[in-house]
Amino acid sequence: MSGPRDVTRVAARFVLVGAILAIAAGYASAFKSGGAPSWAPWLLALGIPGALGAIMVLGATRGSKGIGRLKLPFLFVFVVLASGFCLALGLPIIESAGTPLLLGLPIRAAIVIYGIGLLPIVVLPVAYALTFDTQTLSEEDIARVREVGERARAAASQSEEGK
Amino acid sequence: MQTALPHVAQPVVIGVGLAYFAVIIAISVWAARRTRTASDFFVAGHGIGLIALTVASVSTSVSGFAFIGGPGLIYTVGLGAMFIVLPASVTNVMGAWVLAKRMRLLGEARGLMTVPDAIGARYRSPAAQGLAGIAMLVGIIGYMATNALAMGVVINAIFGVGIGWGIWLGMGVTLAYSVAGGILAGIYNDVFQGTLMAAASVLVFLFVLKVGGGLGEISNTILATDPKFLSPWGKMTPLAALSFFFVFGMGSLGQPQGVHKYYMLRDPMQLKWYPLLKTLGLILVLLLYFGVGVGVKAFVTNGTMAPLSAPDQATPSLLLSVTPLVLAALVFSGVAAATMSAANSFINIGAAVVMHDLPIAFGRRLRNELFWGRTATVVIAVAAAVIAQNSGTMVAFLGIFGWGLFASTLVPALAVGLNWDGATRAGAIASIATGLLVTLSLETAAYLKIFTFPSGVTASAVALVMSFLTFFFVSWLTRESAEGQIDPDVKLIMEL
Repeated sequence: MSGPRDVTRVAARFVLVGAILAIAAGYASAFKSGGAPSWAPWLLALGIPGALGAIMVLGATRGSKGIGRLKLPFLFVFVVLASGFCLALGLPIIESAGTPLLLGLPIRAAIVIYGIGLLPIVVLPVAYALTFDTQTLSEEDIARVREVGERARAAASQSEEGK
Repeated sequence: MQTALPHVAQPVVIGVGLAYFAVIIAISVWAARRTRTASDFFVAGHGIGLIALTVASVSTSVSGFAFIGGPGLIYTVGLGAMFIVLPASVTNVMGAWVLAKRMRLLGEARGLMTVPDAIGARYRSPAAQGLAGIAMLVGIIGYMATNALAMGVVINAIFGVGIGWGIWLGMGVTLAYSVAGGILAGIYNDVFQGTLMAAASVLVFLFVLKVGGGLGEISNTILATDPKFLSPWGKMTPLAALSFFFVFGMGSLGQPQGVHKYYMLRDPMQLKWYPLLKTLGLILVLLLYFGVGVGVKAFVTNGTMAPLSAPDQATPSLLLSVTPLVLAALVFSGVAAATMSAANSFINIGAAVVMHDLPIAFGRRLRNELFWGRTATVVIAVAAAVIAQNSGTMVAFLGIFGWGLFASTLVPALAVGLNWDGATRAGAIASIATGLLVTLSLETAAYLKIFTFPSGVTASAVALVMSFLTFFFVSWLTRESAEGQIDPDVKLIMEL
């Protein structure tokens, strides 16, 4: 495996390991006497989008194309998740009687429910479908896999007969 | 959840319940006539169409928890409980990119049938396959026992037959269609059950909005007395809510009931629309989770409903007080559907581990896999029913670690391993073993109150993180061996 894909995959693996370490540090800090420090959730707020984004990039990378046009959807989703978590953590607590509502929910809750829970749906599955033929799978790919599989089965059955 | 449901045994509810079981039996008889080989039994002969697979996958992704326990959890802790279901906005497409194509192509090239099969093929290792199988079996026992008890409680609520008889009745029907029609019966029953669940969920959500005067009015009612309920984290700590997102988001890549279905799609090119359709289906089914949890809080606050005696009363109490009886009957059948659908899927996966993966790990292949698959199905179902009936609070304990166990044992080895040629056999085995041991020991210590986790930290999350780090570290230590451990066909599939 060589070429641009290696760069993308190596970068994705580094981000994944870094994100998991950030999450681990957040959990570890909770074991301190006095409970989790105030910065602990921020590690998860950045680590979780990093980990999910990195593993998606690992999966979507193919051949010499890297992730091609998927850069933008992946960046969008990372930004939506990270900014949603960080806004929920960082905005002042304003929930009270008479607080303004956004689509029926207080602002911070609306950011989480609509931003994190619904916005990625508008982008990710559509990006997956639109790039499927070029980025994910083609009839030629399937034919190649079938051919290699048949060869492997033939070699295995010859080996069995030899025994 | 389960001992708290009220009895709703009335003619309309019983009638809808009987109609529901009649449809299940009809589908099962049809499927049984089409099940002739082990491949038919475990992966429906790799021949399921896109819509059927999508609806079935939605159905098995959602257990009775989404209809009963989940709304009760929202009622108790507020919007923080939404962090269990919010990852659904990314998990389906993440699974498609990370696993779906590669597992479907492995099925194409090698005729694979199980999730441990994929691990065995990736690392050329019967040991890794067997260990993954054992980890899955432990998780399945927990899930099965929990679902068996849930069935018993729901069937008792509908027909008033007692929880014990409810367990055996529900498990008997599930077993009958699992043994006779295997996954084919399961899939088409899931299609029926998933449709029922989606319809019930949407109708209940609309009723809640209508009775509450819209979401804004519901929010204003709650904000007047309990504003923290509608904060983004609800009454949980941010760390706890984010932990839910991590375990249920990343952990989705290791749930065999979902991952296993990638093998079944008739045409791999149909994967194109699978994530979009499944995500939309899940959103419909989860409307009830959000609507009932928030709606009941508002209705109890403004006196429309009496305070609940237990959180799990949220859905049944709402149904009996504000919706027409026929809708209540539909939802109760939907809950029964959810538990039976999940049970069927786990029975089938567990049977495949017993008769396929474990023999391979020990260097043997069973001759008549279909016969032994059916036998294993009966044994697993009966064992789950017996555990559900006799082990009291232990059942809840078993159910808790199921998701976390699948996540920590399978995600690194399977999801990262199929996308990284530097992952090694030793890394995979160490990671699976770490997930299994850490989850079992920490959950047991927490259950026995030997150890208390700090707020926001769970055994599942710790096990998942440790499993990841072990996987990367051991793979790095043994990196010299990585290149020689991948067969050419698997390598091609990983490169595509």
